[in-house]
Amino acid sequence: MRLYLVIIRSILIFLLSVNSLFAYQSEDALKVAVMGKIAKYISWPNETSSFTITILDNPFGKKVDIAYKGKKIDGKKIKIIYINNIKDLPQDTKILYIPKKDSYKLTTILQSISSKNILTISDIRGFAQKKGILQLYFLSRKLRLKINLGVAKKNDLQIRSVLLRIVKIVKDES
Amino acid sequence: MLLFIPLFSIDLFADESLEDLMNVESEAKVDIGSRDGAKNYFDAKSAVDVITAQQIEQTGMSSLTNILRYFVAGFNAPNPSISDGSDHVRAFTLRGMSPDQVLVLINGKRLHTSALLHVNGTIGKGSSNVDLDTIAVDAIQRVEVLRDGAASQYGSDAIAGVINIVLKGYGNKNKVIIQGGERQKGQGKRKFISGFISIPLKYDGFINFTVDTIKSDKTQNAGLDRRLTPPVVSTHYGLPKATNYHLLMNAEIPLESGSLLYSNILLNKRASQASAYFRTPDPSRAIFPNGFLPMIHANIMDYSATVGMKGEIFNGIKWDLSQVIGQNSFAFGVTNSMNYDLNSSSPTSFNNGKLVFSQYTTNLDMKKQINDTIALALGAEYRVEKYNIYAGDKASYIDSGSQGFAGFQPANETNSRRENYALYVDTTFNFTPKLSTELAGRYEKYSDFGSTRNIKLAGTYKVTESFRLRTSASTGFRAPSLAQSNYSLTSTYSSGNTIKTKGTFKTTNPIAIKHGARALKPEKSQHLSLGGVYKGENYYFMADYFYTRVNNKVMLSGDIPINIGNITDMRFFTNAIDTKTEGVDLKGVYNYKMDDDKQLDITLWYNYNKNTILQINTPYITQANSLTALDRIENGQPKNSQRLLLNYKTVKYNVTYNFSRFGSYSQVVSGVSQRFDPVMISDAQLSYKITKRTNLSLGGNNIFNTRPNKWKNSGKFKGYNGILPYSNYSPIGFSGAFYYVKATMRF
Repeated sequence: MRLYLVIIRSILIFLLSVNSLFAYQSEDALKVAVMGKIAKYISWPNETSSFTITILDNPFGKKVDIAYKGKKIDGKKIKIIYINNIKDLPQDTKILYIPKKDSYKLTTILQSISSKNILTISDIRGFAQKKGILQLYFLSRKLRLKINLGVAKKNDLQIRSVLLRIVKIVKDES
Repeated sequence: MLLFIPLFSIDLFADESLEDLMNVESEAKVDIGSRDGAKNYFDAKSAVDVITAQQIEQTGMSSLTNILRYFVAGFNAPNPSISDGSDHVRAFTLRGMSPDQVLVLINGKRLHTSALLHVNGTIGKGSSNVDLDTIAVDAIQRVEVLRDGAASQYGSDAIAGVINIVLKGYGNKNKVIIQGGERQKGQGKRKFISGFISIPLKYDGFINFTVDTIKSDKTQNAGLDRRLTPPVVSTHYGLPKATNYHLLMNAEIPLESGSLLYSNILLNKRASQASAYFRTPDPSRAIFPNGFLPMIHANIMDYSATVGMKGEIFNGIKWDLSQVIGQNSFAFGVTNSMNYDLNSSSPTSFNNGKLVFSQYTTNLDMKKQINDTIALALGAEYRVEKYNIYAGDKASYIDSGSQGFAGFQPANETNSRRENYALYVDTTFNFTPKLSTELAGRYEKYSDFGSTRNIKLAGTYKVTESFRLRTSASTGFRAPSLAQSNYSLTSTYSSGNTIKTKGTFKTTNPIAIKHGARALKPEKSQHLSLGGVYKGENYYFMADYFYTRVNNKVMLSGDIPINIGNITDMRFFTNAIDTKTEGVDLKGVYNYKMDDDKQLDITLWYNYNKNTILQINTPYITQANSLTALDRIENGQPKNSQRLLLNYKTVKYNVTYNFSRFGSYSQVVSGVSQRFDPVMISDAQLSYKITKRTNLSLGGNNIFNTRPNKWKNSGKFKGYNGILPYSNYSPIGFSGAFYYVKATMRF
């Protein structure tokens, strides 16, 4: 028992004496953070005054607002738009997030925004192979990315080569 | 709590690069406890724990039972010896309750139990549990533990809790593990070779295969046999010699439509052998006049196959249709033995019969998030169970039967079957962003004992963004197993220094009915839990109180003296007692990330549980004839246990130190109770990344070679005056330290 108490006391003293970084994050927090980070590696053909991120059938609650309130990408103010129908998609959308729960209507959604220069992001399984552009998935609890270069090219999105070193490239099956 | 507050935090978007983000681990989530989506420790409505594949890899253990024993405070799994079949299928308990009061799932689907019924004097006597060692450990992605009654959600058995084993899915790297180790004095050598291969399919589908083999030598802890002159070690007392083969397949095939076809197959073949007591020299025995040590063999075959499909239909209704087939067979054999009555014409090897349990489960789940406030889940299940006993060789059972373990007789044979169906509903109401409640109900109808209805009400209240209170109240049940209703065996046993013969009879046997046996009723339970969880940015703390009352718990009766044929005593299963279990779990987790490459994870966990027998419901169990059994329930297991789990990892190194303390426990023998001191053990592993693909590990379990107390006046009490120096109830076994070296290659 004495050994046990010594071990616990040592740990408490150790914890008191150290600083700490984040060890774990929720999956949603990581997905939300990636939406902004990924923009730095992509060039869109159309210049707009603000940077619009559209969230379809919002799965994140207030997390996106909290993360991006007052933030800028490429010097442009970030605008977050929430929609429940793809027909309401703002024209100046740069990034469209499609949640997993919309997987059953994915084909319809992607067809409706084809060639509109929008970076589609989703955690739907097989998203990149199903003609989405950027797929988020978790492997051993770490976030991983897949990108469909063919679909990105069709949408005139230019991907910086540095990104290609850390994502998995999916062949365009179209 | 102030001790744990981190000194600063970061804004993920502002401060972390994309590559940094991809190095951040996400929180572990569990799929059990409620049906409205995976939850982490903070959002779950009941206490949940996760053991990850990374943690499992750092143990050096190839037995899931051992892994849970060291990671979960309140999980107990002794290593009994000279206990017939119980040497080969480990009984385990959660919160000190019965082994058959824990439901085990594979990928969320019910796993069948072992065919073995523990009928010797071990922890879990009278129950059949899931054999966790039928599962290849390297196929496991994570193990989820729900510490709450959940029979109103998942059906029978989920009284002490639910263990959900989630298999590795998409994207895992192929892996080979080669491990070898031994105990002190060269005993208990173990070789473990495992291979995992993952084949990717379209749309992130996969088919994964895991194959392994584990070869373990016996350990020897027997004391001197004072029946012999001079006294020598005559008997084997320790871990059995065993060979295990596992083959596991897990596959998911996403379809163009968005639906998912899934399947998993588990196969386990185990050959295990352990001894009975040494039979002393007797010149009248024609075959073994100088005495002999009967060896009991267990040949276990286990398989489970699941196929299912799930998807979502247009209005957001998720559906999941599955079929699971599982079977466990346990064949007994005895070698180096004889049937005294056959004497010179006796064989020395016997086929002693076989137990087979089969389970077929068809399940349909449907759920829908109706709006932000309400989630609704509905389901139906149809299950068929079969239990068979097959007789052994005639020489194994006639007259006194084969020494060591008498075979099953034709009169013991059974071909029993039952079916049941269940309908259930599970609703979640998020009344406000802070208050969430769950109401679940389940109706079941069994063909043998009728119907049962159970209900659960659970709720959480988020006091602050960091502090959540949770509570649940529920009713539950456990259907008496087919084995408990249909098992029968006449066997030889030791009492003092003599060999007697007694019989376990079916509850439907006319002789048993004449002596008071009745058809078994289900065990009924009531649960209450109350707790809270507080989280900081890098730590959390959980405290949960639990109370479970079980009415009509099934037990073997005491030995009832009769004189019919060669049977001197009889016993049968009966709804014997009402019990109460209450206690607390206190758990703290701290994750200290020093920089991007170094991290220290610390878990402290305290469990206290106390079992109390409230009343005895049958005249066939009394303090006089069942003192040992009754005391085993109340005092046979540690009432408190603690875990300290430490893991420090860098790019190159991974160091694990796990400390476990098990509280004291007691065992009654011949009417005398002995209390055994608490035991503390340490497990450690150091891993070094030799190349990008290869890790080398050195480690040990129970590295300081801790042993439990021996019996008082050791050597002159238990097992013919000293053959058994240790209690079979010991929560750490009694085989001491195990040291190993392990190479892991990924490709």
